[in-house]
Amino acid sequence: MSELDKQSIDQQQHWVSDKAYNPNHIEAPDEKAKRYYKASQWRRMWWQFKQHKLALYSALFIILMYLSIPFVEFLAPYSLPTRHTDHIYSPPQSVHFFDEQGDFQGPFVYGWDYELDMVRLHRNYSEDKSKQYAVEFFSRGDPYLLFGLIPTDIHFVGVENGGTLFLLGTDRLGRDQLSRMLYGMRISMTIGLVGVILSFFLGITLGCLAGYYGGWVDNLIQRITEVIRSIPELPLWMALSALLPITWSPLWVFFGVSTILAFLDWTGLARAVRSKLISLREEDFATAAVYMGAKPKRIITKHLLPGFFSHLVASASLSVPAMILGETALSFLGLGLRPPVTSWGVLLNEAQNVNIVAIYPWLMAPAIPVICVVLAFNFLGDGLRDAADPYSNANGS
Amino acid sequence: MIRYLLTRIATMIPTLLAISVLIFIIIQLPPGDYLETYIAELESQGESIDPQKIAALRADYGLDKPLAVQYWHWISNFVQGDYGYSFEYERPVAEIMGDRLWLTIILSFFTILFTWLIAFPIGIYSATHKYSWGDYGLTFVGFLGLAIPNFLFALIMLYVANRYFGTSIGGMMDPEYLDQPWSWGKLKSVLEHMWIPMLVIGTSGTAAMIRRLRANLLDELHKPYVLTARAKGMSEVKNLTKYPLRMALNFFIADIGSLLPSVVSGAEIVAVVLSLPTTGPLLLAALQAQDMYLAGSFLMFLALLTVIGMLVSDVLLFLVDPRIRFQKASK
Amino acid sequence: MILKSLIHSIFAIALLSSAVAQASEPPYLQAQIDSGELPTLYERLPDIPAFGGTEHLSVGQYGGTLRLLMAKSKDIRMMTVYGYSRLMALDKNLQLQPDILLRLENEDNRVFTLHLRKGHRWSDGELFTAEDFRFFWDDVANFEPLSPYGPPQAMKVDGQLPEFSVIDDYTVRFSWKDPNPNFLPEIAGPSPLYLYRPAHYLKAYHPRYVSEEQIEQQVEDTNSKNWRKLFHNKARQYKFTNPDLPTLQPWYNTTAIPAERFVFKRNPYFHRVDREGQQLPYIDEVTIQLASSSLIPAKAGSGESDLQARNISMDDYTFLKSAEQESKKIKVLLWDTALGSQIAIYPNLNASDPQWRETLRDVRFRRALSLAINRHELNQVIYFGLARESANTVLPHCPLFDTSLKDAWAGFDIEQANALLDDMGLERGSDGIRRFADGRKLDIIIQTAGEKNEETDMLELIKDTWRQVGIRLYTKALQREVLRNRVFSGQAVMSVWMGLPNGIPTAEMSPASLAPTRQDQLQWPAWGRYAETGEGSPPDIPEVQRLAELNDAWTMSSNSAQRLAIWDEMLKIHAEQVYSIGLINGTLQPVVINPRLQNVPEKAVYNWDPGAFFGIHRFDTFWLKPEGAS
Repeated sequence: MSELDKQSIDQQQHWVSDKAYNPNHIEAPDEKAKRYYKASQWRRMWWQFKQHKLALYSALFIILMYLSIPFVEFLAPYSLPTRHTDHIYSPPQSVHFFDEQGDFQGPFVYGWDYELDMVRLHRNYSEDKSKQYAVEFFSRGDPYLLFGLIPTDIHFVGVENGGTLFLLGTDRLGRDQLSRMLYGMRISMTIGLVGVILSFFLGITLGCLAGYYGGWVDNLIQRITEVIRSIPELPLWMALSALLPITWSPLWVFFGVSTILAFLDWTGLARAVRSKLISLREEDFATAAVYMGAKPKRIITKHLLPGFFSHLVASASLSVPAMILGETALSFLGLGLRPPVTSWGVLLNEAQNVNIVAIYPWLMAPAIPVICVVLAFNFLGDGLRDAADPYSNANGS
Repeated sequence: MIRYLLTRIATMIPTLLAISVLIFIIIQLPPGDYLETYIAELESQGESIDPQKIAALRADYGLDKPLAVQYWHWISNFVQGDYGYSFEYERPVAEIMGDRLWLTIILSFFTILFTWLIAFPIGIYSATHKYSWGDYGLTFVGFLGLAIPNFLFALIMLYVANRYFGTSIGGMMDPEYLDQPWSWGKLKSVLEHMWIPMLVIGTSGTAAMIRRLRANLLDELHKPYVLTARAKGMSEVKNLTKYPLRMALNFFIADIGSLLPSVVSGAEIVAVVLSLPTTGPLLLAALQAQDMYLAGSFLMFLALLTVIGMLVSDVLLFLVDPRIRFQKASK
Repeated sequence: MILKSLIHSIFAIALLSSAVAQASEPPYLQAQIDSGELPTLYERLPDIPAFGGTEHLSVGQYGGTLRLLMAKSKDIRMMTVYGYSRLMALDKNLQLQPDILLRLENEDNRVFTLHLRKGHRWSDGELFTAEDFRFFWDDVANFEPLSPYGPPQAMKVDGQLPEFSVIDDYTVRFSWKDPNPNFLPEIAGPSPLYLYRPAHYLKAYHPRYVSEEQIEQQVEDTNSKNWRKLFHNKARQYKFTNPDLPTLQPWYNTTAIPAERFVFKRNPYFHRVDREGQQLPYIDEVTIQLASSSLIPAKAGSGESDLQARNISMDDYTFLKSAEQESKKIKVLLWDTALGSQIAIYPNLNASDPQWRETLRDVRFRRALSLAINRHELNQVIYFGLARESANTVLPHCPLFDTSLKDAWAGFDIEQANALLDDMGLERGSDGIRRFADGRKLDIIIQTAGEKNEETDMLELIKDTWRQVGIRLYTKALQREVLRNRVFSGQAVMSVWMGLPNGIPTAEMSPASLAPTRQDQLQWPAWGRYAETGEGSPPDIPEVQRLAELNDAWTMSSNSAQRLAIWDEMLKIHAEQVYSIGLINGTLQPVVINPRLQNVPEKAVYNWDPGAFFGIHRFDTFWLKPEGAS
């Protein structure tokens, strides 16, 4: 036994500080940490989201696309029905900056004409260097109604009179591909949005009902989701498309198609909502609300839903690309939208044959915006999902 | 456990019945019936058909009976194993589906394998190196397959394969080998043709898998036990594979259930584009021609598989994951 | 005259017999002949084989497999069409010649005496005799359980059935009270009227020849619904679905459905020979590979088909021609089509809306619409200027053709069109669109089957020029069946479909497509229905009534001059009345062949009826030059 042990505890020397207790004296949080602790849920989500660079850029990209939708007529060099019977199946034109002598001329295109190869019945296009047409910004072109109201004919980019500006080539009727793609963007991207909103409502409502009330409501809704999930997508699409009355105008067909796509999509959302709700409704705060006399609607919307709303947003953003791809698939099957309505699906369907792949490959260009948008939404959704629960372990709080 | 199983099976039956009604409605929805499609087709070729013969055919096929009767006829035979008669091929449905089913299963099996092979490493890397440029790059590649519209991708691949590798266009093998017994040449030909559908269908499935794996793995990797193991000196690799990965793989098991129907339906659109002798194009053509029994029975078959699949995966999960077992018990 | 042709025939036969005696056997069959399974050539051919129609063709060498591509397994019936072995067949000049028959005597189009070839055998070696005709007539066509509605419609004249008699083992006779001018074209058609069945084979499935127990046993064994279904399944000659059924076609099917690939083998008893006495066909096997229709142009371009026109269109021409130049594995020909108009617009004279009905019935309206179409632009944009701008009428190489028919109201004259519409009192509104008296705008919704890009494209172009005369055009794409239904019910005001199915008729062919005879005629479905079933009301426009009269007159006509006059008048009425607005005809059909394939005409007409696609061009005489030969 040591010297110390022989003495009693009281007799041992010890030292107690009489300063006031400061829990942070070892490690005081700096400004950044303070902000982090004080930050609201949404703020934290934003910070987490920012970390996913790809998601950030995707979000910017998508916002840009949606913002340009009202301006499509302005952005497109030509208006939708414009045909150039003298420039059928034209490959993309190149924009030059320096002329033959090497002088800087600003952006311009050469004359663009073709020779008919009578053996292969192919139009061989070539530049006529003797003619130059300046590429103008805010140039006058085909007339249109801006926002459907204001008649004007100013286009973001165009070409001097007499020239042609086919940046992505033309199709079999001589319609400018770039313009068609821009117009197609309007329909394809809004179908996704509309469809997702519809599916959102359906999914949340039914999921909430099932999760909160349980019992036979839950059972019924679960059976319904099972039934819908068991039926293969394709035949359901085909059948529902057959339901769309023939007399409907393209706009209504559009809504019909988005409804159809939404109809198959909500089940996933409903299941997620239901499971979350089931776990959350047993939480103390929910029980407290019940005892305080809150109606179910209030409990659900004010207390439970916000808890996992971010998850829902993440799911929703992942549904949009599915809708966009679904629309292209429907067009492929000959259902859904058809010409003269122009969407990316319609454009891709027209490009779906070996002649295009082999001889006129520029007509496959609509695939690129589809790919970009789908990827962007996917990354966005991933980023949102990561950020959705800022308190989770995965985010290392 | 047994009670759970029994109740699930009991609820399956009304579900299946509801599905069968839905399927029947789906097929009957487009206006007209098989005969009208048939007649219209003939006429577009300039051929014509005796109007008397049409009436006789209609009575023969039972298409003149009310819909409810037709439904009953179909479903009562179906449960007895008689899947009906295809108008288009004029043969029992079972005969037509038979050969194609095998090919579909083989193709799907390899495609799923391919998907896993790609998704696995990407998912793991993405979880362990979160937000790195490597993560972004690989995820981009992984998601590319989802983003490219399948039908266009398939067509382009077909053309590329033909131009640069001399592969014959479409189908599962070169036409000469079709009737011949298996040989090295035949095998080689099948492999040459099979990589296109594998690539196209496989890549479109990788995105979902990567996402799931990544999410589950992330959940596990940040748990305290991982930190503990690391502090105690376990190697990173072992730390990853011994516990977190196993936990994250739960969903594979859960997914086995949904594998069954996807295996059989076989990516219809791509199969149509590539002209593969699988069940997909068969189903599509049957739906378009309103070949009632062929389409209906096949869809019913698929639905049955899906429902059974869901049951199987629920049960498997129950068995495999003790947490679910105990959760239920504590309630 | 008769003596001369008689001497000709005897001479030819004599020459032929000596040729046949010396001709060599197809090597494909040699093994079977040596083993005794098959008799020698002399015994396999009929006493007098069919030898005509090959004078302009080269004599081929035996051997080879011809690969074809088809989209669906039902398409194997094309082998019956291409093979074109018929009782009477059309030659390449569209003249009827005896083919399976040795001779046919035709009295006034009422009494037809058919003489078969002695020694002609089915593909399984059994003799082809009058018994096959009798079996068909007594035991199938007039046997109520198998044909509840009796013999085929084409055999009834005014509801009357013919009298059938067997004169001897190789001669039969059909006689009607009234003329049946349709009879010969029907038996020579691409999907022919069959007057015979292989009796020796089918008797085993027929209750009159086999006991009831045996029938029941068969039904059980084959899992058939009932014996009638079994019989019909076994007896289908046109569709080639029963590999065991004997046939008279140049090749017979050996693969049962379902399959991805069908193999047709040569018929050792085929009745035709070439001018050196060699038995046709030259090619030993024809294989049909199934592939999805959108892939067939690609496959044809990479040389996977030896003869392909089906599922290939002008759209694919550039691709195919490029492939031809690069790989040299294929050769691309351009044949003519024979539709009266590739696509024609059909105003519905039986529209249910009264305003529209009245307007469409006014000939000025139809003429104005036709004048407001720039067919030249259509031709340039869609067909590279290679097709012909024309009204919906017969083609120039048809004997009934006249330039006035082609140009009738088919020029591009906006002024005249406007004048006609102004004349009708259809005033323009402030937006330039004309209005009915009640103020409704002249918005025409054209229903299309939406299957071909050509249609959509043409309508796009037409939309612009019709706008110039104050008419707005909307296109509505529907499923084919829905389209037809809407036209029948009168809901559809105007529709689009192909023009005259036969643009190269002779006066001997039925003008039924020019008169209201069938419900599926899109310009007058109700009147067509009346003609078919007697329901509804008859035509009430004098010119249409005249067309119906002329059609009846043709059926009763007794000489060619009468028929010619009838055709001329009917064509003229159509030209003046513009019952269908024709756009472009004479479009081209690309045909992809293996460069080694011989006897395929460089330029020919590709048409269903008449023509049987490759039928009249003697598909059986195509042969493959061996590789490496000069």
